[in-house]
Amino acid sequence: MSLTEAIDLLLVEDSPHDAELVVRAMRRSRPSVRIGVVRDGVEALDYVFGEGTHAQRGTVELPRLILLDLKLPRIDGLEVLRRLKSDPVTQRIFVVMLTSSREPRDIEETYRLGVNSYVVKPVSYERLMMAVQEIGSYWLALNQGLGAET
Amino acid sequence: MHADQQLKESLREVGDLKAALDEHAIVAITDPQGKITYVNDKFCAISKYAREELIGQDHRIINSRHHPSTFFKELWSTIGRGRVWHGEIQNRAKDGSEYWVDTTIVPFLDDQGRPRQYVAIRADITERKRAEQKLQATLAEVGDLKRALDEHAIVAITNPQGKITYVNDKFCAISKYAREELIGQDHRIINSGYHPPEFIRELWSTIGRGQTWHGEIRNRAKDGSLYWVDTTIVPFLDEQGRPRQYVAIRADITERKRAEAEILDLNTQLEQRVARRTAELELANKELEAFSYSVSHDLRAPLRTLDGFSQAVIEDHGALLPPEGLRYLNTIRTAAQRMGALIDDLLTFSRLSRQPLTRETIDLTAQVRGVVEELNAAQAGRTVAIEMGDLPMARGDFGLTRQVWMNLLSNAYKYSGRVPHPKVEIGSLVENDEVVYYVRDNGTGFDMRYVGKLFGVFQRLHRVEEFPGTGVGLAIVQRIVHRHGGRVWAQGVVNQGATFFFTLGEGPRA
Repeated sequence: MSLTEAIDLLLVEDSPHDAELVVRAMRRSRPSVRIGVVRDGVEALDYVFGEGTHAQRGTVELPRLILLDLKLPRIDGLEVLRRLKSDPVTQRIFVVMLTSSREPRDIEETYRLGVNSYVVKPVSYERLMMAVQEIGSYWLALNQGLGAET
Repeated sequence: MHADQQLKESLREVGDLKAALDEHAIVAITDPQGKITYVNDKFCAISKYAREELIGQDHRIINSRHHPSTFFKELWSTIGRGRVWHGEIQNRAKDGSEYWVDTTIVPFLDDQGRPRQYVAIRADITERKRAEQKLQATLAEVGDLKRALDEHAIVAITNPQGKITYVNDKFCAISKYAREELIGQDHRIINSGYHPPEFIRELWSTIGRGQTWHGEIRNRAKDGSLYWVDTTIVPFLDEQGRPRQYVAIRADITERKRAEAEILDLNTQLEQRVARRTAELELANKELEAFSYSVSHDLRAPLRTLDGFSQAVIEDHGALLPPEGLRYLNTIRTAAQRMGALIDDLLTFSRLSRQPLTRETIDLTAQVRGVVEELNAAQAGRTVAIEMGDLPMARGDFGLTRQVWMNLLSNAYKYSGRVPHPKVEIGSLVENDEVVYYVRDNGTGFDMRYVGKLFGVFQRLHRVEEFPGTGVGLAIVQRIVHRHGGRVWAQGVVNQGATFFFTLGEGPRA
């Protein structure tokens, strides 16, 4: 993904297959949405905070929505969420957990950290399509946000 | 004149002596026939008779019948022989009261040496006799108590220097020492070395202060065997308040101590075992949790890939595939989705063991209605006749009991799906003071020979093509019911329906 282009949606997903299916589903329903994909928690934080390999991103505006997996290499989804929600600028970004876990303690912990929504990734293709489509239409269209600062 | 004078002097002297004697003693004079010829005032006072009542009477008038007849025979024979008699006599006064007199009877003889008269001089010793009797009674009682104590307890007496001055038979028996080996010895002879010096110091300082000490002591017998005694040591003090001697009374508690030690040992072992098992269980639970977590996360992802990309092929390249190819892809998708469902159910099942159970009062009627509505909504166009009996308020975990009804009712719907008039009955009955809930359908039923398999995980009595399902639903029902302390069982006949019963471990109904 290009580091200097502005995006609407940041997908944090370590499985390239899942990432491809989610991107496919989003493109099907909302072709205009600009999507960036990172593969772990470190890349996600670097991207959002403009550090590490994303240090030259400069003043490019932040994504409006982050789809965040829980189980990620290096820094996991919970830690990414904690960092995003404890920064006054990045806490405005909507974060939707998109994960395979239905464990009550994961759900409780992410809500405690201020996640905006929690969606269990369905196994079935149709349901995955529907879930991604609904996430897009709600969080990128229907829901009124504060707008990310530039 | 001299003779006269001398006689006069003598008479006066005798008169004085008599007056002094009358002041001091009880005096009576009796003739040889035993008749009273004289009594002084003191005699009258103590016997409570008037003089005239006594004079001329026999001494039997004051006989108390305390002494045997031989006693008086001996008395009379002594004085009859002209010898002085001395002894103690119990008499009875006129009013019936008894009194003791120390008595000396002096016979006075005539010229022929025969008793002329008897002068009896008595002293009142009633008080002394009474005290003596009391003392004797007390001594007898003390003797009885000592005998009883010796029968019952291990007794030893120690002097202030700590030397043993007395031991009873029981002391010798338990310590296996002869009495001679113990007397004069220090108590250290039976010290087992078990108690710390402070314990022994505290004992001596307590009894040295004149206070009773009570405790349990382990001693060593002569043969080296150890025994426990429950011990009370009572110090007895002299007039200065210093211990004069110590009396120790002990009871053999060796058997009790052995039992106590055994119980303590067993308890310790049990605690250790419980702690070990608990740690093992906690570890197993943690491992299971980690395993479940990883299953839920990692096993589902490849299935999504299988399903998603199969569909992507169908969507993007379906036109290039022959119908057989499309069918193969759909078969892959069906299998992937089924495995997804199996994993979901298995996770739900394993979570049931870890999830805490919270009992609350549940309106089962409302709960079951909610489940039925949800199931009806999912039934496109098919109607199932529902017959709902009375359901009482119950105590249980709301979410978990709802899951029980959901699984049992969705089974009832599913397995009655092929009969023309599907009917599901829901109700409760009381059996042995316990409420039993049931769900009955008129569907495909089952063969009672396989009833044992019904509640096992992944156990199914039907092929997936006949009735879809993962084989976890009833295992979940059983797990929830067991976690409530209840029971679940089933009755069925092939093609005539099935009934599932369960209880919630609520205890007897009031």
